[in-house]
Amino acid sequence: MDPGEEFEALTVQHLDSLHAYARLLSRDRPASKDLLQEALLRAFRAFGSYKRQLSFKVWMFTIMKNVSVDWARGVRVRLLAGGWRESEEWFAAGHGEDPTPSSLPLDPEQVLIRNVTVEQVREAIKNLPPGLREVVELREIEGLSYQSIAEVIGHPIGTVMSRLYRGRNVLRVLLREASSDTVISRRAHGV
Amino acid sequence: MVCDLARRRFFPYLDGELAAEEQASLEGHLSCCPDCQRLIHLERTFRARYLDHLRPDPAPETVRREVSRLLNGLSDHHPGGSGGRHRRSSTIRSVAVAVGVCLVLGGATLGVAVRRWWSGTSASLVRLAEASVEQHQKLTRGLLPYDVRGMSPRQMERWFRGKLDFDVNLPELPRKNLALLGGRVSSLRDIEVAALHYQLDGKDVSLFVMPLEKYRQLGLAGTPKFKIVTYQGYDVIAWASHGVAYSLVSEIGGQSCLVCHSPEERLDFPTGFRAHGML
Repeated sequence: MDPGEEFEALTVQHLDSLHAYARLLSRDRPASKDLLQEALLRAFRAFGSYKRQLSFKVWMFTIMKNVSVDWARGVRVRLLAGGWRESEEWFAAGHGEDPTPSSLPLDPEQVLIRNVTVEQVREAIKNLPPGLREVVELREIEGLSYQSIAEVIGHPIGTVMSRLYRGRNVLRVLLREASSDTVISRRAHGV
Repeated sequence: MVCDLARRRFFPYLDGELAAEEQASLEGHLSCCPDCQRLIHLERTFRARYLDHLRPDPAPETVRREVSRLLNGLSDHHPGGSGGRHRRSSTIRSVAVAVGVCLVLGGATLGVAVRRWWSGTSASLVRLAEASVEQHQKLTRGLLPYDVRGMSPRQMERWFRGKLDFDVNLPELPRKNLALLGGRVSSLRDIEVAALHYQLDGKDVSLFVMPLEKYRQLGLAGTPKFKIVTYQGYDVIAWASHGVAYSLVSEIGGQSCLVCHSPEERLDFPTGFRAHGML
């Protein structure tokens, strides 16, 4: 297959995931479209060096993450100021990182009893703090391995595990509090 | 294994991320601990009921269309940067012609300028060209919406006034087959610019107007006045004049200068650069 056609086919195949990650990185702002396009242009230029044994999705996520970091550092800081930076500041403030978690995984029984919907779970994930949402989505929705997540977010596997651990627990707290007529809010930040 | 330690490993165990030895140890514990068996069963149920059903939200139709347009545009080139080969060789031939013209004209100054260009464009120029080409691609493919459209150059100038820290002075449209399609406040890296999208004989041309100060900071204000570079198959011309600087992007070489000049004008720039009979 012609490399151009291959690139196009892979992009179309993974477009939902690429768009979802762009939205996550840009905190659901309109800048997500620019981020996606910029990442695709960069990826197209670098496609010659793409190793076919690697996942195209992981490769693209890594490029997209790099673009978002570049933007947050430079010209697009206004657009993404509440996104990546906010996420990093959140962790810098001492939240989230818990390399040796003392608490045990929260029992999901209460969530199961409440019989929440898949849509509520999806909404609760979107309301997780940025850095936790990122690893939870990459794992639970995109199905990435710990190693792949570590490559994408540029942190060690230990950090991935601790964020995932905490993110899942926060998610359960949100879901336990949720009921059919309650909108899941951003209380996660205070958990 | 005690229950606390076992439960801390539930997540990586169910994720299939536990090392074989740890997995065997955990399964040994599970086989003789009803409480942990119950919890792991709840975890599996939770995943099966909710997490296994999660999929990324479908990309909206507008995004699909925009990406499709982008991919269609990219399909003219080979990915991985190998695509500009044909165009580069074409440009090299054109530059050879340009050097010849310069020698014939005896323009020693211009000769120095061309040699400087030939010896390698600065990293700043390449970065400017890269940013200009990216913006050009987005503008021409409809990926960056215009802030204003359907205006005359004078109306457009007035629209930009107060929105940028410098005056934008646009040429009148010097020929019939030239149209100013739209404009917007945009950015080339960290430089805020006026971005104008023209069509000249049906060919896309983008003109970016930026403050001279920023152009100087890039180290581009010296000679040669007109910096020419081909990037990703696009021709980029950068220059400074009357207190502002410009970056012009097209696929038609020196013919793009007709955005600002009438065909009758005798131009001494950019010499022979795929001039298409302009000189």
